[in-house]
Amino acid sequence: MSAEDVPVPNDPSDALAAVVALRRLADQLEDAAVEQAMRSGWSWPEVAEALGVTRQAVHKKHAKRLIAGGVALRRRQ
Amino acid sequence: MSAIDHYINAVIVRGTAEAQEDGSAAVEAHHLLLAIASLDDTAAHRVLTSASLGRQTIREALGREFEHSLNAVGVSLASFDLPTPSRDPKHSPKIGPSARLALERGFAAATGKKDLRPAHLLLGVLNTEIGTVPRALALAGVDRVGLMARARETLASESW
Repeated sequence: MSAEDVPVPNDPSDALAAVVALRRLADQLEDAAVEQAMRSGWSWPEVAEALGVTRQAVHKKHAKRLIAGGVALRRRQ
Repeated sequence: MSAIDHYINAVIVRGTAEAQEDGSAAVEAHHLLLAIASLDDTAAHRVLTSASLGRQTIREALGREFEHSLNAVGVSLASFDLPTPSRDPKHSPKIGPSARLALERGFAAATGKKDLRPAHLLLGVLNTEIGTVPRALALAGVDRVGLMARARETLASESW
């Protein structure tokens, strides 16, 4: 899709709803992508660096659900 | 606890489960609507079912609103094939701002705590032109204002 083809919503409510939907999609994509990476043997520092956040932030956000999901987490790099 | 306290608690517990299912960090107004649609034997539930709005229908309408809002900025949900991520069953989403507003509007729709009934909470969720709930209902061809009128009618004629 070229830049000219990307629609720009004229209605503020459509534009604001798009922000909400994109945030939700980004959250879903992050959950799926982090899990995929950790299942593939990535370490917390690697995932954190790829996302541009601290290791503590990514661990705090995802560790519990990955442990609950039975993902074998690497303790060391 | 009074019957309405039990009901409010049940709406929040059910809404929290809906938010958990979404992987949502917060319970939003649309999660409360799903909860109201899931709890039967109330006038609020009857108003929704009279408009063919069961939990599943509302979920589908919310899904369409999500896709529609993404399409508005050129993003197609169909291009993402996301695996279902693992969830932490112990994580409990907090009440978000939209759900808080919906509850406050519901409380304000009653003339006092003794008057407060499930249909007031439904009114609280429906009584806005802004946000996910009115957008999803409009896309599904649901007359939100008409639904509110029906909820008010039941409040005049039904005790619960």
